[in-house]
Amino acid sequence: MISRLSEKLRSLRTMGLSMAGAAALATVMFLPTQSAAEEEVVILGIWPITGPYADMGPLLDRGVEIALEEVGYKVAGKKIKYITRDSETKAGTAARRAQGAIDSEGVKFIIGPWSSGVALAVTEVAKKNKVMYYFSGGTEDITGKRCHKYAFMWAANAWTAMDANLKIFKKFNPDAKSIYLFVVDYAFGWTLQKYVEKLAPKYGLKIAGVDRHPLGHREYSSFITKAMATKPDAVYMINFGLDAISAVRQLYNFGFTPKKPVILSWSAGVEELVQMDPAMRANLQFGTNYYYTVDTPGNKSFVDAYKKKSGGIPPGYAPGAGYGLMKMTLLGMQKANSTDPKKVIQALEGLKGKNFVGDFAINGRNHQTVRPYFVARTKPEDKMANKYDFATIQDISSTEQPRDLNQCQDIGGF
Amino acid sequence: MRDRNIFLIVLAFVVIGPFVQPKVIITEMLIFGIVAVANNIMIGYTGMLSFGQAMFFGIGAYVAGLLLKAGMPLIVALPVGTLFVLVLSIAVGYFCVQRTGLYFICITFAFNQMFYFIAYSWTGLTGGEDGLPGIPRPSLLLDPVAFYVFVAVVFLACLVAMKRIVDSPLGLICQTIRENPSRAAAVGYNVKLYKLTAFTIASTFTGLAGTVYAMLYGIVPIDQIHWLKSGDFIFMTLLGGTGNFFGPIMGAVGYIWMSETFSLYWARWPLIMGIVFVVVVLYLRGGIVELIGKVYGSIQRAREAP
Amino acid sequence: MSFLILSQILNGFATGMLYALVGVGLTLVLGVLNLPNFAHGTLFAFGAYFTYTVANLTDSFYLGVLIGPLLVVLIGFVIESQGVRRLYAAHHDYQLLFLFAIALILQETVILIWGPVGFSLLPPKFLAGAVDLGFTVYPKYRLALILFTATIVVALYLMLTRTNVGAILRAGIENREMVKVLGININKVFLFTFGLGAYLAGLAGGLATPIWGLTPTMGFDILPISFVIVVVAGLGSILGAIAAGILIGLAQSLTTIWWPEAANVVIYLIMGLTIILRPQGLFGSR
Repeated sequence: MISRLSEKLRSLRTMGLSMAGAAALATVMFLPTQSAAEEEVVILGIWPITGPYADMGPLLDRGVEIALEEVGYKVAGKKIKYITRDSETKAGTAARRAQGAIDSEGVKFIIGPWSSGVALAVTEVAKKNKVMYYFSGGTEDITGKRCHKYAFMWAANAWTAMDANLKIFKKFNPDAKSIYLFVVDYAFGWTLQKYVEKLAPKYGLKIAGVDRHPLGHREYSSFITKAMATKPDAVYMINFGLDAISAVRQLYNFGFTPKKPVILSWSAGVEELVQMDPAMRANLQFGTNYYYTVDTPGNKSFVDAYKKKSGGIPPGYAPGAGYGLMKMTLLGMQKANSTDPKKVIQALEGLKGKNFVGDFAINGRNHQTVRPYFVARTKPEDKMANKYDFATIQDISSTEQPRDLNQCQDIGGF
Repeated sequence: MRDRNIFLIVLAFVVIGPFVQPKVIITEMLIFGIVAVANNIMIGYTGMLSFGQAMFFGIGAYVAGLLLKAGMPLIVALPVGTLFVLVLSIAVGYFCVQRTGLYFICITFAFNQMFYFIAYSWTGLTGGEDGLPGIPRPSLLLDPVAFYVFVAVVFLACLVAMKRIVDSPLGLICQTIRENPSRAAAVGYNVKLYKLTAFTIASTFTGLAGTVYAMLYGIVPIDQIHWLKSGDFIFMTLLGGTGNFFGPIMGAVGYIWMSETFSLYWARWPLIMGIVFVVVVLYLRGGIVELIGKVYGSIQRAREAP
Repeated sequence: MSFLILSQILNGFATGMLYALVGVGLTLVLGVLNLPNFAHGTLFAFGAYFTYTVANLTDSFYLGVLIGPLLVVLIGFVIESQGVRRLYAAHHDYQLLFLFAIALILQETVILIWGPVGFSLLPPKFLAGAVDLGFTVYPKYRLALILFTATIVVALYLMLTRTNVGAILRAGIENREMVKVLGININKVFLFTFGLGAYLAGLAGGLATPIWGLTPTMGFDILPISFVIVVVAGLGSILGAIAAGILIGLAQSLTTIWWPEAANVVIYLIMGLTIILRPQGLFGSR
């Protein structure tokens, strides 16, 4: 009996040690939940640091930092605590990180990420947790189908962008009659395609053909062959990033450019151009949410501050977006003189002003920021003043999306 | 270490966890803990390395998500979602178990790619790249604590169920097949049928975990059905240790914890994950379980030394 | 329409030859070492990046393509001798996962060395531009690529069939134990084969730069395709890898005519069907 008792004691001891081990492990993993200090407002920037858009994350973050440095990390009487998380360009992981940061750091404002698919997940987290969310990117669902009181969009609406591209292309190429479309095969691409098909006739342009390619596609020879067979006056690309760069490279290989132009309708500008060889970039028209040569108040200081951080490379759309998102968030807080998301949102609705991209107005009904979309043309190599003097802005346009095309029925309440 | 003790440790973790980490992190650890343990039924017990389990996780999530959006109650959505995955996994598994080794890996990968393509293209149903949004939670589970308790209960129930299965004769036969498939066949077992059974069981529990995941953020993102997620599942299972039933739970916990922690400190954190994995594969093939065993053993020896 | 089909066939053939080069390296390693090299894609990437760096330093694309892949061989030697060699006795799955982890590490290393932003590399002046073939206008570089990869493939085939080294490799594919019994240092054979596989991957990467550019994720992008080729070809079959590469290239380009969105997924359909209907591959014998 004693041996059984000692056996029981031993197994009890083992259990006790096991529990102690578990507690030790838990302590090691301990992540103290901090609610924000009274005089602090916590803003989360969720950016792609790893994964397919790893090159954009640091640039977006840099833009944000410049905006914060301009106000000395203070707003509405509070200190700003800016934290970042890696979105990995995986919607599920980003949602986890956003939620985790809200729980453990007391985040009240979220900006980012880069990818629309991830943004659509983050916006759900923002809505559920009632934190303000400002995104800059392609999907119009943020201010359309999936609009809600807490979400705002900084980038120009897809309609605005396509209208600008077509209008300005025709203005500078009055003899052009037909365009061939390369469309990235997912919801955002289809939306832009739909808009181009609606707008092209208005500007006297016919669509010679359309080809949809998978996102992340690298091999465009087949699409290019099809396109060139229709002899279009331009290839109009509804894609971006590496897809666009690969297509441009191969269009150049096939001899389409520089004889005929290629339109990159939704481009990051500098970030994409920098990855191309000068010969490859000849005769490109690109539409972008930001190009650094724009002459507006506040732009020069932004560009100078950015060049100091980047070793001389001018900012493209990515840092422009980071900067813009933080500027707008801070503006809302300044106008409301508060860091309460509800008050900031109310201050932003209907707000009009002028900043580094030009005149802006925030539509109170769907929270879309109506602002200029830039269309630029690349310069020939011999006309470049320095190795980053890629292009000249041809024109800007901020035609708002028609009301009947916007799918935000009811933005809802708080 | 006795299974009952390990189970108590797991229980302690489930209870203490939400107090030391954000609830969402622990919830994901439990959900993916189910997946990792289920995956081990194939890897550790039957010797089948599938590079496609994300397809079942994703499909479970999509089906449950759609049913919940259509207004079905939880008691219908989750079981139906799981049942759908069960039936699908029998069909997919039938083709996959015809081959072994590298071929098995490649065909599970090929199926994963095909389902990913369907999810990506059938935007009317799945939302495509934008994910399936607006999945409601039953009002009982709206509170984060209530939801966590629900997930914990599902997690523990799945563990008990899977433990029963692997401790049964079926589990033993699977292990025999892993050790020596030709001998098992010679003795008279229908190897392919048992492999299919293991495949189906593992995939069904993975799908069940998926149905729960759909309610976590109210959205099913497309990356949950991507082949890289299948790679994550393998990583979790192996990290924890395939030789022990409970090992993969620690793998899921460890993987998510490392991913959350390392990403805070270094932009190139996947490199560290890669190194951890290399260390595990070269020196610590039993995973975290082996590590714990070694530490425990050296503590034991130190105490016994005169 | 027939012009379109003809030009798509040419397209498919050109990319197919590049795929074939990637596939051949992988199939050799699989055949001789029985090792599915999940790091093959990142070796491809390193080949591209080394080619880029050397080409920029020397202002010569040709030197880049000459030296770049040789540097990749060094990486291959290190992976084989320090890592893979320890796992030959271990379970198949662990070798695979080790290489997958190495691939992860190498991809991040690319970012550490060259940064996350992608690059472009132009083809050499002599091969720049396009030529009118009648039914289509076609880039000179892609035509040159077909010729060049064909030459390499022929050279490889000759090496395998006409030289002693080749005989040993083919013996290793057929029967590893026998090779050991015959007194040949199997470690040297493995090292050589892995290095050769790395060389072919790196060479493909370097040759691909003018068409596909450079980006840190290019290794993981090409990895699934390389395994599709190996499976469709049949383990250890060099001719099979070439045929499979061309087949995959053609499948992609022809699909683009009628169902462009499926250009990527059609290759997995082919792989799945091969595994189910003819698991030894189109040309394999095992």
